[in-house]
Amino acid sequence: MTPLLETRGLTKRFGGLLANEEVSILLERGEIRGLIGPNGAGKTTFANLVTGIHAPSAGDIRLDGESVLGLAPFEIARKGLLRTFQVCRLFGNLTVFENLLLPYMARGAKGSALDEGIGRARELLELTTLSRLAQLPAKGLSGGQRALLQVCCGFMIPELKCYVLDEPFAGINPVIKDAIIDLILHENRARGVSYLIVSHEMAVMRRLCSKITVMIEGRVVAEGPLEEVARRDDVITAYLGKALT
Amino acid sequence: MIFSSELFFQTLIAGVMIGVLYALMALGITFIYSIVKMINWAMGEFYMIGSYLQFVLVVHLLGPEYWWVAVPLSALGVFLLGILLEPILIKPMFVKVLERRDDYATVVTIALLLLLRNLATALSGPYQRTPGSVLPTVTLGPLPQDGARVAAFVLALVAIALFQFLIKTTWLGLALRAASQSRIGVQTSGVDILRLDQLAFGIGVALAGLAGALLAPVFLVFPTDGVVTTVKGFEIIVIGGLGSVPGALVGGLMLGIVESLGAAFISSPYQNAYGFALVLLVLLLRPTGLFGERTRQA
Repeated sequence: MTPLLETRGLTKRFGGLLANEEVSILLERGEIRGLIGPNGAGKTTFANLVTGIHAPSAGDIRLDGESVLGLAPFEIARKGLLRTFQVCRLFGNLTVFENLLLPYMARGAKGSALDEGIGRARELLELTTLSRLAQLPAKGLSGGQRALLQVCCGFMIPELKCYVLDEPFAGINPVIKDAIIDLILHENRARGVSYLIVSHEMAVMRRLCSKITVMIEGRVVAEGPLEEVARRDDVITAYLGKALT
Repeated sequence: MIFSSELFFQTLIAGVMIGVLYALMALGITFIYSIVKMINWAMGEFYMIGSYLQFVLVVHLLGPEYWWVAVPLSALGVFLLGILLEPILIKPMFVKVLERRDDYATVVTIALLLLLRNLATALSGPYQRTPGSVLPTVTLGPLPQDGARVAAFVLALVAIALFQFLIKTTWLGLALRAASQSRIGVQTSGVDILRLDQLAFGIGVALAGLAGALLAPVFLVFPTDGVVTTVKGFEIIVIGGLGSVPGALVGGLMLGIVESLGAAFISSPYQNAYGFALVLLVLLLRPTGLFGERTRQA
């Protein structure tokens, strides 16, 4: 069976800086993969490449065995590869409800499909206890609520196959963090959504991900269960610096 | 100058009426900016094309009694021209990675301005024309008002209401409002931003074209007839704040009223200067414009 998401030798150069160098990753269907690495390791660049925000300098990206190289971000989104942003990209002047409906409508839904979308939005609001805020502009939400809403927006899309979450837990209180984790697991079990989660929260990564990919200075240096990769000397050195001997 | 309340109200009403038409222009500028993130310096030329379309339709094709059919047709014509030009002139700046988009947009739209203006001169000559108006003078309260002006005012209000309806209640409007806040955000939500750009550009220039068609019988029709209205449009943007729809409306009304009152009660040759005084005042007190927000470039 073809993997859901596959990158081959993905490379991105910004001027003289090699932000991603030959990054090859295989993501299986239904897998929840963690992507960790120190700041500046190229994790967000990788997310940008995969979702078409930046064009890679070299390499290939395949979704369901089909190359998505050169497609515009909206085309990639319509193929079911969605993402969230580290700096929240909600539409502050739209209501919470409108924020949820937008990605659903953008697929060109009409007629009865619209009722389905509205139903789905209600369901997600219920699930995340944001219902009473539905008609408020999204800019009135707290940081945590925004992060939660941003993650929900992707779940509005029935075709969602692979969800790239860039730092979904950064600076968020434990209650909402748990709500996001529950949502991720729920959608994973209910309809087999796969994830690529960029995060520094090791406790969360341990709970969610069976396999972790470690990036350092633009390259993949390790892959495996968190316990295993966390013991590696090169990983420890990259995170903490060299031990004095 | 003797102050009389009758004269005051008449000039106030005249100011409000012309202000709404200026607002139409400003709305077009602000709308294109908020979606496509560029200033279209050729707005006045789309106004000019609207006025010529109105002239040709009324004088040569439909007849003066069908001016009201000609108005939406002229606006539609300008809309289609915008839809046609956008992929050629504007789209390349987003398809290729450009370093200086603002500079590109400025050069391209100023080139377009020169081209259209000279094309109009070549085709119609430098003559000033008028489609005329069959509308009688209307008495508002105790005071007479030019019928064509009143008609232009009413239709401009209808157009602004339709625009608001489109933006606030339709799915296209939802996508447009979202795109005005984050271009990247709507793309990762699955919205085809390039098509949205094309539509926004078409709608924006159509607003200018509509203003041109409506004002054709009020002012004259000639190759540079859009210049004054465009300058007003940009003044309103400064007053109201770039990217703000209510700013365009309130700014338009303020500008129209200030100019009318100034011309009537201070001195009429300086009519255009009162607007600039208002602009300077706003810049001193609120540099972002009345409804403008400080934005952060991410």
